[in-house]
Amino acid sequence: MTKQRHKFLRTGALSGVAGALLVTCLAGVSSAATVSSAQRPAMQDVTINVAIAYPAPPKAALAAFTKATGISVNYSDIQWDNLQTKIAAAAEAHTYFADVTDVDWSKVGEYYQTKWFMPLNKYFNVASLPAQYPQVGSFIRNGQLIGMPSDASLLVTDVNTKDFAKAGITKMPTTFAQYQADLKQIQDKGVVAHPLDIPFTAAEGLSTYWYEMTAAFGGGVLSSSYRPEFTSPSSPGYKALTWMVAAYKDGLVPKGNLALDDYQAFSDDQAENLTASVFSDYSGDIGTVYDVPSSSKVVGDIEYIPSPGTNGAAPNLANPDGIGIPVTAKHVSAAVEFIKWYDESTNQAAFAGANGVAGSINGFPLPANNSGLALLVASGKVPGAAELATLTKDHSRAIFPAGAPPWYPAFSNAVYTNLHSAAAGQETVASAISAIASQVSSLQG
Amino acid sequence: MNTPTGPLSSGPAPSAALRRRRPRRDGALPYALVAPLVVFIGALAIYPTVLTIIEAFFHSDPLTPPNHFVGLGNFSALFENAEVRHSMENTAWYALFGVVLTVAFGTGIALLLQRPFRGRGVLLAIVILPWALPGVVEGVIWSWIYNPTFGVLDSVLKSAHLIGQYQLFIGSHQIETILLIALVQAWQITPLAALLVLAATQAIPDELYESARVDGANWYQHITRITLPLARPAIAIAAAEALVMSINIFDQVYVLNAAATTGSSLMSQTYFITFQDLNFGQGYAISLFATVATILLSLLILKVVYRKVEFS
Repeated sequence: MTKQRHKFLRTGALSGVAGALLVTCLAGVSSAATVSSAQRPAMQDVTINVAIAYPAPPKAALAAFTKATGISVNYSDIQWDNLQTKIAAAAEAHTYFADVTDVDWSKVGEYYQTKWFMPLNKYFNVASLPAQYPQVGSFIRNGQLIGMPSDASLLVTDVNTKDFAKAGITKMPTTFAQYQADLKQIQDKGVVAHPLDIPFTAAEGLSTYWYEMTAAFGGGVLSSSYRPEFTSPSSPGYKALTWMVAAYKDGLVPKGNLALDDYQAFSDDQAENLTASVFSDYSGDIGTVYDVPSSSKVVGDIEYIPSPGTNGAAPNLANPDGIGIPVTAKHVSAAVEFIKWYDESTNQAAFAGANGVAGSINGFPLPANNSGLALLVASGKVPGAAELATLTKDHSRAIFPAGAPPWYPAFSNAVYTNLHSAAAGQETVASAISAIASQVSSLQG
Repeated sequence: MNTPTGPLSSGPAPSAALRRRRPRRDGALPYALVAPLVVFIGALAIYPTVLTIIEAFFHSDPLTPPNHFVGLGNFSALFENAEVRHSMENTAWYALFGVVLTVAFGTGIALLLQRPFRGRGVLLAIVILPWALPGVVEGVIWSWIYNPTFGVLDSVLKSAHLIGQYQLFIGSHQIETILLIALVQAWQITPLAALLVLAATQAIPDELYESARVDGANWYQHITRITLPLARPAIAIAAAEALVMSINIFDQVYVLNAAATTGSSLMSQTYFITFQDLNFGQGYAISLFATVATILLSLLILKVVYRKVEFS
């Protein structure tokens, strides 16, 4: 899986006194799930290894953590795919790898089944977490908390408002039918030749696009017992896949997108104004991709809109990142302290850019908890933060109601390879659907 | 054995005990010197190989424990898997294109650099550059070249009026996709082939060319009758090296074509089966299959191409 990490923050504004005061005040109302570092016992001479697919928090922040707890952090930023390989290899070999590492939403079922990560239930009050962490459900499997959300992330729709205006569209679409008509109108009026951006290379970004499109058509791809819900031609999943392939073949999507992954498509097409909309973009891409003057031609033109569904706003599927503790960890208590510190509202907001570039983590999407989101919105420093916070709280939904199945990677592989092949004309939609369903049956045994 | 020197050689005859001990000390020294290397190779090559051979016959999947012996079960499951079979076919094409392109380019470059000329050293350094780049970096560079929106290849072809509009090169057709990815691989390993063949051509005595010239041989005959036949050992090694690299192609495939079946290779399937599906047993099996195939095909290349060459 190649989920891209972008720099979310691209604002040049310096943190103002008012903003800082506001942040300080709001910090006081942080969630009860987070505890002040100063209250924790010191653990002198403990060094933990932390391996996450994000750049390290700012040095000053890590130094403050060490000062408060006595725990030193040896931080490694490892590319996402490589990190997953290392986690699997270390776990299979029963060797120590890290005290804290990545728990992606898509891996929760796998880690529950393999028992490679220790449940965090005794360190966090699982029952109270959903009130503060809107996407924590993606990390709970059969009551076990496999990891803690380390950010919030969701699939969102964005549009180039200037292109829509040029085509005479002043009211943003609220239904999928209207969205489709608007795209056609943009194409017919010659604003852009191919208005819709879909990354059609055979990679994870294509799978998640289909999930979000299926949600817009009013359904999901797998049932709560992981049965395929996309095999009937009248099902939302079947319709969504058919629609995506037709959009490519009919020229709504640039032909070259067959070879572009998610990040390439968004930066080569949407940021270059070759397309006018991304239906399933990553939350934060306005700040990290489109509003970057040095590499974008659409600065200030892109806006998030509630994803249009068949009967109004569609759900925005959650694809958050989490962090957890491998069973081979050497310093479990220190690892728990680090996770609690990482998830503190003030830190989460700062990582997302509430205090300016200096305090942020490159590519960090949104704070994992509501109080962190509130701090971020109040800071006013990140474009689209208010809209994203609303979408996160009101429209965010887990991709799989029962959590990702243990065999999710193999399922996703079947999805993106067959969807890609269908778009490339190497197989029909029906055979692609059949192949994906067959893979699900095979994986379920 | 070196002649003993120092006090023992100039003094009285050593005692029987000394005579017995000295050879043992001398004999142990070479082993001590190579021991680190043996441990290194043993730990990083022999142990994993033995483990791979053993584990290939076991069901090893943390999602469906416990591990147990399955005989040839992993292999039969792999051959029943259409995606694996397809990747085997693709890998055969990678091997064919990789060996042909690498040997052709490598030999061509070696022939161009065979004779001294001004700037030869600089040119040689430039030729070697791609060899120093990791496969992922090469994949990224070539993804810009092949990019269907702003790629150099499209730009050149359009400027030359060979295409009317920008084309999608990677991902739409199997052979075209494989050929273009194999070209990237060949670009990386051609320097090695060129160096091997160049070294071989440098060892050919000038007298042979002078004799041929006296007999009226032209440039083409020099190459086909003297250079290439006498460089066959190096060409065979270059071809075998290209084969090994082509069968193991992964980085370029992953960067340029992701997981699409059009260009999937045996190694990309190994990665997906092992680290995505967590089916380690089948992962070991496909690795073992690739290893055996590589050895057999390399031996075939050596048998067909290699000829012992001696200059008196």
